[in-house]
Amino acid sequence: MNLSPSSPRWLYLAIQRRRNRGLNGLYLVVAAFLIVYAILFPGLLSIGGFSKFSQNWFPLALVTMAQALLMLNGGISLAIGPLVSLGAVVAAISMGGPAGAFGGFVAVVVAGLVIGALTGLIVAYMRLPAIIVTLAGSFIITGVALLLLPRPGGYIPDWLSQALAGHQPTAFALLVVILIAWKLFLATPTGIGLYAVGDNPVGAFRSGVPVERIRVVSFAISGLLTALAGLFVAAQTGSGDPVIGTSFTLNSMAGAVLGGVGFLGGKGTMRGAIAGSLLLSVMINVMFFLGFPPVAQYVAQGVIIVGAVAIPVFASRWRKA
Amino acid sequence: MKAASITRILFRNPPLLTLALVALVWIVAGATLRGFGAVGHLRYILELSAIIGIVAAGQTLVILVGGIDLSVGAVITVTAILLPLISPDWDSTGIVGVVVTLAVAAVIGLGNGMGQVYLSVPAIIMTLAMATFLQGLLVLIAGGSAVSVTNEAVIWLGSARPFGVPASIVVWILVAVAVLIIIHRLPFGARLLALGANPLTARLSGVNVNRTTLAVYALAGLFSGVAGLLVLGMNRQGYVGIGDPYLMTSIAAVVLGGTSILGGRGSYAGTIPGAILLVTTTALITVVNASPGWRSIMFGSLILALLLISGREAQR
Repeated sequence: MNLSPSSPRWLYLAIQRRRNRGLNGLYLVVAAFLIVYAILFPGLLSIGGFSKFSQNWFPLALVTMAQALLMLNGGISLAIGPLVSLGAVVAAISMGGPAGAFGGFVAVVVAGLVIGALTGLIVAYMRLPAIIVTLAGSFIITGVALLLLPRPGGYIPDWLSQALAGHQPTAFALLVVILIAWKLFLATPTGIGLYAVGDNPVGAFRSGVPVERIRVVSFAISGLLTALAGLFVAAQTGSGDPVIGTSFTLNSMAGAVLGGVGFLGGKGTMRGAIAGSLLLSVMINVMFFLGFPPVAQYVAQGVIIVGAVAIPVFASRWRKA
Repeated sequence: MKAASITRILFRNPPLLTLALVALVWIVAGATLRGFGAVGHLRYILELSAIIGIVAAGQTLVILVGGIDLSVGAVITVTAILLPLISPDWDSTGIVGVVVTLAVAAVIGLGNGMGQVYLSVPAIIMTLAMATFLQGLLVLIAGGSAVSVTNEAVIWLGSARPFGVPASIVVWILVAVAVLIIIHRLPFGARLLALGANPLTARLSGVNVNRTTLAVYALAGLFSGVAGLLVLGMNRQGYVGIGDPYLMTSIAAVVLGGTSILGGRGSYAGTIPGAILLVTTTALITVVNASPGWRSIMFGSLILALLLISGREAQR
């Protein structure tokens, strides 16, 4: 194989190395936490334990991807939690209907895409800041979820719960499929445009990137991922709950920022965001396993998030000094 | 003056536009709804606006420097629960408890600033993490039960009406004057606007970025603390979650007042009518007597609609 500095393959690897540079520390921390977790809880290494672990991680990974996707093109969403709840509610009320489980799946996909696209249309074409639009949107989406299902309930077929949240690592397999799909998406003009729009909207516009359309597409995909996370949560719990997703708004942002995705757009990688969500998930699991009361978990989570964001900054300062 | 030029003046001046919206809503609602225009009802709306307005005073300063404070709700809850617990019995006026609680609120705000200055954590993450941290700490301290207030000073704040004006509105006027002076008359205000518009230029022009950031977040904590005392005075009880509704409303009030969420542009003069507009909207939705779901939908849609009028970012 030809690996001279001018070959495309050499360039590709050099770029990937550079994008990974800030993340090596994160990978080490994640690996350390995973090892601690495996020592505390050897069951992790069995298929059943691994399945349970990946099922706890999966919805968080999805919403972190959804948030990172928006942050990469300069947006943000404060409506992630409500949309997870809505996804769960839509799944729980439509799967018992005449269209069955497949109809319910389609309903969740459509709900996620439509709500995401509407948000994107408002942000892109009316030029309102994403943080405010999604803030208002979070009230609207919460209201819709409450209207559809005022109290927890609904129906999820048992075989679906078994298939998604049973003793097989289906969730992990789905995550791998989604990551491959993301890699393929990045190879399309829209995928490259996503980064370009986040990094420099004016420059992207001048280079012929359809800035507005890409914003709408990214919001739509993000809505889809979030609603699917809701479907998964509904399958996990066996029912729908109009407020089940609340904690996901904060955790999605925390995961993305831990993974090195910047708020100003164009900076960061999806693999970093995934690693960030994994770190968060392992942390929560370890605290649970060590018998921290749920309250102390809040305290520890606040401290650890700040610490994990601050440590890379310190590391780079020491390197310079 | 021609109608066209009036609309142009309004759209060039967001605070005036928001004020005009409030006037419009009040006139229409007063003419169509029985009891809306009663002095007692309008005074009640202003009392509720005072709390949001005071929280939003800190939020305005923070947003003007280009940050955001997502811990204001948690700080309100902290003050509402901490004050009854730490007010000493020997102090019959309750002033000691008030001063200590406000100091704690300011220190929490300072902590938000320190995280950003010394650890380089982004504002949104720092304040969110602070909120999470405080939420856990509170349940550990208070054990999840409500605490009643016996502090005389706080009860006075919640119920007194010197010259017929509720004390909370008096406090709001004081805060408003102070914040307007800070932003528009003091060098500190010029520095924070410069910092929000362009941090690099501000630093190169000799603005002490670290000190300005610390001061702004400490002020935001202090104002949330003041609001927390008012909430406690009105409710006579502090419980976990009492401050939650004020987080989103404070941000919405700032943005409805025409302050740019990106920082560097805006004024507290817009936030004042913004807060009144929000409370009026909520009051009107309550009148309609809908289910919680519909109320939430209407509130979100109205914020969105109001934003279309007053919250647009400049064209690229």
